[in-house]
Amino acid sequence: MHAQIMGLTAAPPPNTVSLTEALVVRARNGDPDAFAELIEDQYDAIYRTAWRWCGNRHDAEDIAQEVCVKVGGAIARFDGRSAFSSWIYRITLNAVRDWQRAGKRRGRHVDAYAEVTPSDQQPEQEEAATNSQLWDAVRTLPEKQRDAVLLVYAEELSHAEAAEIMGIKEATVSFHVHEARKTLRVLL
Amino acid sequence: MSQNNDPFESLNASPPAPRNAARTKALAAARAAFESEQEKSFVQTKGKNAGGRLTSIFTSLKRISIMDMRLPIGTAAIVLLVLPLGWQLYSSTALTPGDLAIQQQPAPAELESVTVNTADGLSGVAGQQAETSLVLAEPAAPMIMDAAPPPSPSVANRMVAPAPLGAAMSKSMTYAPVGQSVAPSGDTFSSVDEQRLKAVTEEPVSTFSLDVDTASYAYTRRMLEDGFLPERDAVRIEELINYFPYDYPAAESAEIPFQPSVSVYPTPWNAKTQILQIGIKGFEPVLADTKSNLVFLIDTSGSMDAPDKLPLLKRAFGLLLDQLSANDTVSIVTYAGSAGIALEPTSADNKAQIMAAIDQLYAGGGTAGAEGIELAYRLAEQAKIADGTNRVILATDGDFNVGIDDPDKLKDFISDKRGSGISLSVLGFGRGNLDDATMQALAQNGNGNASYISSFAEAKKVLVEEIGGTLHTIAKDVKVQVEFNPAQVAEYRLIGYETRALNREDFNNDAVDAGDVGAGTTVTALYEITPVGAGQIEPLRYGGAVSSDGSEEIAFLKMRYKLPDSDVSQLIEVPVKPELVYGEIADAGVDAQFAAAVAAFGQKVKSSVYGGAITWDEIKTLARAGRGVDEGGYRAEFVRLVDMAAMLKPDAK
Repeated sequence: MHAQIMGLTAAPPPNTVSLTEALVVRARNGDPDAFAELIEDQYDAIYRTAWRWCGNRHDAEDIAQEVCVKVGGAIARFDGRSAFSSWIYRITLNAVRDWQRAGKRRGRHVDAYAEVTPSDQQPEQEEAATNSQLWDAVRTLPEKQRDAVLLVYAEELSHAEAAEIMGIKEATVSFHVHEARKTLRVLL
Repeated sequence: MSQNNDPFESLNASPPAPRNAARTKALAAARAAFESEQEKSFVQTKGKNAGGRLTSIFTSLKRISIMDMRLPIGTAAIVLLVLPLGWQLYSSTALTPGDLAIQQQPAPAELESVTVNTADGLSGVAGQQAETSLVLAEPAAPMIMDAAPPPSPSVANRMVAPAPLGAAMSKSMTYAPVGQSVAPSGDTFSSVDEQRLKAVTEEPVSTFSLDVDTASYAYTRRMLEDGFLPERDAVRIEELINYFPYDYPAAESAEIPFQPSVSVYPTPWNAKTQILQIGIKGFEPVLADTKSNLVFLIDTSGSMDAPDKLPLLKRAFGLLLDQLSANDTVSIVTYAGSAGIALEPTSADNKAQIMAAIDQLYAGGGTAGAEGIELAYRLAEQAKIADGTNRVILATDGDFNVGIDDPDKLKDFISDKRGSGISLSVLGFGRGNLDDATMQALAQNGNGNASYISSFAEAKKVLVEEIGGTLHTIAKDVKVQVEFNPAQVAEYRLIGYETRALNREDFNNDAVDAGDVGAGTTVTALYEITPVGAGQIEPLRYGGAVSSDGSEEIAFLKMRYKLPDSDVSQLIEVPVKPELVYGEIADAGVDAQFAAAVAAFGQKVKSSVYGGAITWDEIKTLARAGRGVDEGGYRAEFVRLVDMAAMLKPDAK
């Protein structure tokens, strides 16, 4: 865990990265097979991120689908200035934010549906029950603090990577994490 | 520390898997979106095929923001500003040898006219020649001769016998350069003029601040070992001399932290002069009793990713850590590349944790500066200890983008923090990017020292053998003032200390910052003095008689220092009496011989206008004689270095 706490960039394993990069280049040039393979690789990661941010399977699946569609439409314009994974993170986080804002507008009945309906949520709730209190607390944090905490601790990224995704300075990420810790000390 | 039971640790539990149906649906939707996007991009644009719609060029320029044009615009600005300025400086300064050489060598057409013309024309050219040499300062003349290229044979043939010109040319032949290679390094050094010879009757008092840095020697050694002559400005003779430990009597207590020892002996490179050597050795407290709070501010920019930079730093750090105890705290802050706190203040007996933190450091990425220096000082403030050393140690290869861009502001920031009891030392690494002047300036403003770590052995010297001097200051703002007796000494010259010169009035002004002496360090200063009657400078016709009240003292040495926690300076006064004069350099002891050898070496490597007469062999003999016990083997290494320099820059035959 040291690497994450101390905000140092650990080099990711090279082979998967270069594979992804090759796929990205081919997809940008309009190769549908490459794109299909690429998005299939990325789907699980996108879904996982979405789940962590919103906390239930239904929303996560919907958000993941939306992200996939967005990526499909926008990959030709991906300029490689940042890492592909950061780019995906940014799209996902934006989608989550849009989704949650829209959810607020839609009112509470959507949440109400989600609470009654599916019985298949049972096992996952048990699994999450151990630290559900923590999850709830994290999700009630202000947006920036939540993003920083989840990127650093749930996604296990370095502060530098989180900073790139959030479009802020690295020191600011550390600050947000610090603030989040202070807020949570009160909540928990 | 909160790390051990961090609630966030559990957040990385993996969420439940998505349903396959949802996954397939999403992937299909993505493919559809991708394909529709591809089709869209194939739709032809309307209008002319060649270039799309015709638009004003201004609209296309608008999209290019200034940030995208930084390089081209910046380059253009630099070219416009710097080139004319540089040309102006280059052509208007007196010390541009190449330029003068061109002026000196008349065009061939002119020469032809000289040979066919009468003696009248000849004297015209001679007059011109005299005029150019009048412009030159007298001691600089041989250097100009150095640079004058030998005349091409065709020109020489055409010159029948223009006596004055021929003499000048043949003189320049003897000084012809001997294929010296100055290093093609990217390191920057600030240019300083060498200390000049001064007449005692005009300027009897010399004032300077002690300098305990050693960076210049390590840098010089590295360049020579790699087969390059270091740049002149990279060689600071006082740092060369002070690199070596000398066996001066140590002080007994922390209250009077050092005792000056003075001796006078003949100069090895000039029979007419003598050397006045002033040496001090700082008090050495027992290391186990000291407490220190160290914050390492480490450069992790991409350029640190070389074997002699970050990896060397990591190994050096291990050495340092072994010297620390539970009394000490260590924290690590990184900047450039990855910025942030790498290690919160941690007690130094937690070695495993600290080493784990240092091992995680990795150089890479751009030099995205951050609030590195402020963060470092904040940590130092946080873990501050009342009766010990509080120090930020900056380790870098020359990227000083620590968060404050303006060098002057950075210096101000550091000296403000010095006021609050936190000092700064600089460890330089690597080659090619080193910014020597900034390193020096920061350490001087931060009451610390600048060391250049070129190898593991050097790291051992700075961080193990001289750890006390590196970390613990025993006296600060140490100033030296020497007043020469005009009845005994005609001229004097301080060797080195160019960057440390002070005004005469600064000596008694406690507000003026000066050098600091660490525990157990030795500092040496040399003056070359000329006894009355042998001086080079003509005495003044209207100077009047010198009165010294019949004193036989050669000079009077005054030193001022402040104890580390005091703002009021103490004064030490020592007269330099004739008893201290030795007739032979060998009688003055090994340290005197060695210091003189190092000074001679420095002057020769630097192509100084002084001390050029001594040969490399003589320097080597002198250094061998002065080797003494030489525990660390540093003096033996110096002897080898003299060989190296002799090969790179052979003596003029």
